[in-house]
Amino acid sequence: MMAADDAGIGGDESDDDSGIGSRELAVAAALALAVVAATAAFPAVADARAAYEIPVERQSSAGDLAEPTGDAWTSVETVDVPMSSTGAAVPGGAETTVESVRVEAARTDERLYLRLSWSDPAANASTDSLRSFADAAAVQLPVSAESQPPIAMGSTDNRVNVWYWNAADGTESLLAGGAGSTTRVPESAVETRATHTGDRWTVVFSRSLASDRANVTDVDPDQDVNAAFAVWEGANEERSGQKAASEWYYLSLGPNEGGTIYETVLWALAGIAVVFTTLVTVEGVRRTRGE
Amino acid sequence: MSKTTDDAVRQADDAVRQTDDGDVPLAEGVDHQVAMVMDLNKCIGCQTCTIACKTNWTESGGREYMYWNNVETKPGAGYPRDWEEMGGGWDEDGESRTPGELPDEEDYGRAWEFNHEAIMYEGSDEPLRPMENADWGPNWDEDEGAGEYPNSYYFYLPRICNHCTHPSCVEACPRSAIYKREEDGIVLVDQDRCRGYRYCVEGCPYKKVFYNAQTKTSEKCIFCYPRIEGEGPEGEVRPPSCAEDCPPQLRHVGFLDDEEGPIHKLVNEYEVALRLHPEYRTEPNVYYIPPYAPPQTSESGETVDAERIPRNYLEELFGPEVESALNTITREREKAERGEESELMDILSTVNNDDQYRLEVFDDGS
Repeated sequence: MMAADDAGIGGDESDDDSGIGSRELAVAAALALAVVAATAAFPAVADARAAYEIPVERQSSAGDLAEPTGDAWTSVETVDVPMSSTGAAVPGGAETTVESVRVEAARTDERLYLRLSWSDPAANASTDSLRSFADAAAVQLPVSAESQPPIAMGSTDNRVNVWYWNAADGTESLLAGGAGSTTRVPESAVETRATHTGDRWTVVFSRSLASDRANVTDVDPDQDVNAAFAVWEGANEERSGQKAASEWYYLSLGPNEGGTIYETVLWALAGIAVVFTTLVTVEGVRRTRGE
Repeated sequence: MSKTTDDAVRQADDAVRQTDDGDVPLAEGVDHQVAMVMDLNKCIGCQTCTIACKTNWTESGGREYMYWNNVETKPGAGYPRDWEEMGGGWDEDGESRTPGELPDEEDYGRAWEFNHEAIMYEGSDEPLRPMENADWGPNWDEDEGAGEYPNSYYFYLPRICNHCTHPSCVEACPRSAIYKREEDGIVLVDQDRCRGYRYCVEGCPYKKVFYNAQTKTSEKCIFCYPRIEGEGPEGEVRPPSCAEDCPPQLRHVGFLDDEEGPIHKLVNEYEVALRLHPEYRTEPNVYYIPPYAPPQTSESGETVDAERIPRNYLEELFGPEVESALNTITREREKAERGEESELMDILSTVNNDDQYRLEVFDDGS
């Protein structure tokens, strides 16, 4: 619309000089072209990451992606995911300490890698005494990749997979259909590596994209998949529903990275409208001049 | 307590204990309820029950510190130390749970290593003793009790899981990993579902659920269910080990809802078997015959007409009903002394195991 107005104002100014007419025409054409170009380019530039998007960087080989400090992670975009208490009905359910987790995602043709990193001044890596609880983290995925189950452990008919790691006992793959129903999936295909350096935990979760069994999320490399994140601070005796958890995000795997189809369609329509208005305005100016 | 007050208390109790049709109220979804009555007047503090339990269930594998059955001296700090001050149970309306604490390892006492090797095999002439500093353990304050000489007092209190009718441990678990068994109300931890959160340990006001740091799950007294199911020695139905191995045979074992059995008579008819800390409102199914003690003596050694164990202390442990329970026992004992028939005294003084342990009454049908 701005382009059309500009063209219109230019038309008024050009009344006494017919030479300017063709220049205006050129400007209008250039603006129209720019808008059409912006239609394609703008979402990728100004709106590179949509809300709740975790971009998944495709890498040709796994390299050292499995390592929490791997160089392969250098190029991967980091998303700072805010978290809050779930308020679950367990003692201290509203008292959590971790406020955000940094999430990065990468994939090869075979595997999905998720790197989670959060602030924790001291590692709690033992459950060997009555009062000790381990630091832990988890990634929650819908069992049915295209769905978005209730955030608190899914529901009976819309279940979730959980990739769970804790600093004492390692990794588990879990299935849940609502709070309290968490069940271990035998022989987990999820692998983790973790390190605590300085005042942060960094944990890499990885799993083959394809699922090898029922009730385990099959990650299609051409389709976005929802994901949520949680962290437990062992020093605060956090366990069970006493955890800091995120809302649903999505791992951006599909072809329209940087925006949805619907967004692209809107931009294209806007571009066409701008070009049309410009042409009508130019034609109007010409007629006024009696060309 | 006046007679009027007595009656009022009894009526209030009846309202709680008896449903309209006279049946004994059980937890929802439970067919029958196992129960145990322990006569504290018979306990000699020998810990045979403790060892019977330990050798059956908690010798190793992260259970070394656990005593599913323990015997502690009262007054005393108990096991784990000061468990009565750690919260858990239900609030006054019985609907909200009271927050509880996790005990510290030191409160239970560590399973000490002894210098057996050195003494038995290496010829050391050191005394047999723990190899680390031992400064607390189960029944550490044995026989200390309270009161001043010559009127000091104490008694022993054997404790197992109470397999409560309204168990706060069960309610505390967000995963329903701990549950009351349908057939007999035994409270069990499903070891496959337990994820070691320890809410049950916090939630039990009697601190009778234990965390196993090796298996990363919580464990507890199972009322020796294989034995009561006939899977024990010689394939016979037997009472729990703690009961059967007790030298003075102080325990009755049966079902609360077996109206012909001794448990029902002691608990519901004579009302002389009482719950420990009824104010925790978990409705235990282990009951106690409150202890008597010899009367006080004067400094010159004369017997004085005053109770050695203060009534208010017994009330702290067993609630206000202890008053009428002790009165009933006194009355019935006097009857027996006069040579009259006393069913209550017969039940309490039986030496026939068939009368003490009634576990096969519901085997047919229900």
